Amino acid sequence: MSPINLSKWARLKSPWVLHFNSGACNACDIEVVALLTPRYDVERFGILLKGTPRHADILIATGPVTRQAALRLKRIYELMPEPKFVMAVGACASSGAPFKKCYNVLGGIDKVIPVDVYVPGCPPKPEAIIYGVTKLFEKIKGGS
Amino acid sequence: MNPNIFFRILVFPGFLFLFVLILFCDWFERKIMARMQNRMGPSYTGPFGILQPLADYIKLLTKEDIIPHHARQFLFSLTPIISFSIFMLSIFCFPLDGINVFSNYGFEGDLLFVLALVTFAHFFLFLSGWSSSNPYSGIGAVRILMQFIGYDIPLIISAIGPAFLAGSLSLAKIASMQTIPFALLTPWTFILFLVALQAELEEDPFDVPHAETEIVAGYGTEFSGRKLAFIRLAKDTQIVFGAVLTATLFLGGPYGPVFSAPPSLWFTIYFVLKVLFVIALLEFVEAICARLRIDHVVRGNWRMITPAALLSVILTVLSAPYIRLFMGAPI
Ligand code: SF4
Repeated sequence: MSPINLSKWARLKSPWVLHFNSGACNACDIEVVALLTPRYDVERFGILLKGTPRHADILIATGPVTRQAALRLKRIYELMPEPKFVMAVGACASSGAPFKKCYNVLGGIDKVIPVDVYVPGCPPKPEAIIYGVTKLFEKIKGGS
Repeated sequence: MNPNIFFRILVFPGFLFLFVLILFCDWFERKIMARMQNRMGPSYTGPFGILQPLADYIKLLTKEDIIPHHARQFLFSLTPIISFSIFMLSIFCFPLDGINVFSNYGFEGDLLFVLALVTFAHFFLFLSGWSSSNPYSGIGAVRILMQFIGYDIPLIISAIGPAFLAGSLSLAKIASMQTIPFALLTPWTFILFLVALQAELEEDPFDVPHAETEIVAGYGTEFSGRKLAFIRLAKDTQIVFGAVLTATLFLGGPYGPVFSAPPSLWFTIYFVLKVLFVIALLEFVEAICARLRIDHVVRGNWRMITPAALLSVILTVLSAPYIRLFMGAPI
């Protein structure tokens, strides 16, 4: 295995995620936390939930990004070490859905930081989030 | 100098062997934890997920390495490596395959030497948190120091028990004396030692220094990339060190019946099995316990564990003649 393949293999096998709520209604967050429960248990794939952005590879962001959270979201993204990826989980995070055009939201994670994978659903099922992670893996494998 | 010694230090039973053992123990812990919680644990990275810790380390080594602007650069970059190497050096002093890595039986008093080294390593862990100039790391670092200062005392006191029974402060001698493991002869010391060790290793119910729900990741909050890899490696080495110390003091170390030549092969097998047994014990306790509050941790130490450790030493000293008679050793 060449060094590049080796590092790619390691990256695919141990994605550590950070969960950030930028004004979600909390349903998406419960679905994200459900990933860690015995039923779905994403530690099987080496996915661990981390508390600090310094340790994380993937930022799982939920919510429509309120004006207050926008700056924090950007800051947390900047705290993460490269290479970093962002998943927008939920209809809110993708486009602002039910909260679109509210005076206090920006409407979507991608208004603030670049997003790699969108997971639609209100809230998305844990299976859908896992599917989103596999889509992200394909993107990493593709050598972006 | 003996050319063999380089092989012993670098490959077997030195650096490479211990490194593989440490990675394996990391996987073993996670698997036990997961099974206790009715989960599967790492399963798809290599056979049974056994390569999971390796993948984690390689990934961390290839990631960006950030030094925060306010951190004390020199200490911040150095402390993870130093604490890892001190833990490694202290494992080197144990009789791993009958003799220690430097191919001798150690010296009289290397038990104290090892315990002192580990206190140093803990201090470097404290410094690593302190130097990162982050409020969470600072709180985590202060908590480590407080916990280690407190629990080092009962740990060392209960380590005296086996040394007293063996009549020696040398690790190899203590280990080889145990035709019957001291864990069976003096279970009171063994249990206290395990409790104090659990606190030293910052495992539940004593994991206040890196309590995720309160202070993010404790002293490791600001570390990323290579430095985080070394911090994690230091933590894993610390757990293996704890298991090796327990196995040597209370379970007879690497020694056991030899069925065929070479004895060092059998000794290594016994050693690994005993280390895994101790780790399984520690992880079992971790899985069934919830985190104590910080004041309970401190008060529990000074009010209960330390006096109990002193009492257990008194009990050991009083019963020593009978135990030695039982072991068939000269009184
Ligand atoms: S997508 Fe739906 S469930 Fe998720 S945070 Fe928005 S409103 Fe709530």
